[in-house]
Amino acid sequence: MSDKENIHISSYKEHVSTWLALILLTFMTVFVSVFGAELRTLSVATAMIIATVKATAVGYYFMHLKYDPKIYKIMMATVLGLFVFFMLMITLDYITR
Amino acid sequence: MDHTFHLPNSGHNFDAKASKMGMWLFLYTELLLFGGLFLVYMVYRELNSEAFLLASFKLNVWMGTFNTVLLITSSMTIAMSITALQKGNKILSIRLMWITILAALGFLIVKYFEWGAKFDHGLFPGMDHYQQLPTGERLYFYLYFFMTGLHGLHVIVGAVFIMFVIRGVKKGSVTPERYSLSENAGLYWHLVDLIWIYLFPLFYLIH
Repeated sequence: MSDKENIHISSYKEHVSTWLALILLTFMTVFVSVFGAELRTLSVATAMIIATVKATAVGYYFMHLKYDPKIYKIMMATVLGLFVFFMLMITLDYITR
Repeated sequence: MDHTFHLPNSGHNFDAKASKMGMWLFLYTELLLFGGLFLVYMVYRELNSEAFLLASFKLNVWMGTFNTVLLITSSMTIAMSITALQKGNKILSIRLMWITILAALGFLIVKYFEWGAKFDHGLFPGMDHYQQLPTGERLYFYLYFFMTGLHGLHVIVGAVFIMFVIRGVKKGSVTPERYSLSENAGLYWHLVDLIWIYLFPLFYLIH
């Protein structure tokens, strides 16, 4: 790479912490789902919120978005915005039928 | 007349920034590809919530959990292999990449047994038992096989991609100064993990 000054090397420790957080969140979701099945405690919304927290951790630390130039974050936000827009349009379509 | 084409940058056509941007652009299209499938899932689940609930009990949560742990762990090892390469430790980097590939194989083997059990029960679209299921459950299994199948293809592609990086490190075309191929393979592998993070709760957990 030509621009040496911009290189950020993630530490092993940071990767392990991210891994630990992801594993804990996974077991939390599984636990609530399996042992709370009769209560139906795990709503779609809860599961999706936890999944999104996990996805953000993967993107931020593993995929290096935290340290990369802003443009990647902006583009990611654009793609997610597009997805939310699609979701809204489809929802509107189905609830107004 | 000389028709030899000379690159304006005299042959040094290596651009880490551009190749990373290209990889990300591709990943954005992948997100929208799976995003579209998630929207199909959302609509059909809303229309057949009871059937989706019943069908989801036929999946093995523990196999799914095991695979989730495998993918998260392999995501960490591939990230660490980039760190190792950047720090100049090629041997550790290659080892970590092999661990990642082993995890990918493990994922596929578990998937094989999972799918095998569904085939034995005739739940694959077109099979006898599948045809007798109510529409909602048929839609669930159709989406289950399509989405986990497409994801499984990505696992295979990711593992092959990482093998190319290992070859590159051994041959010397991927080095601590020139690591963008390994970075891009890592990004692809994280995407595979990212998609599974959503597939897992949607198909296995939401009871």
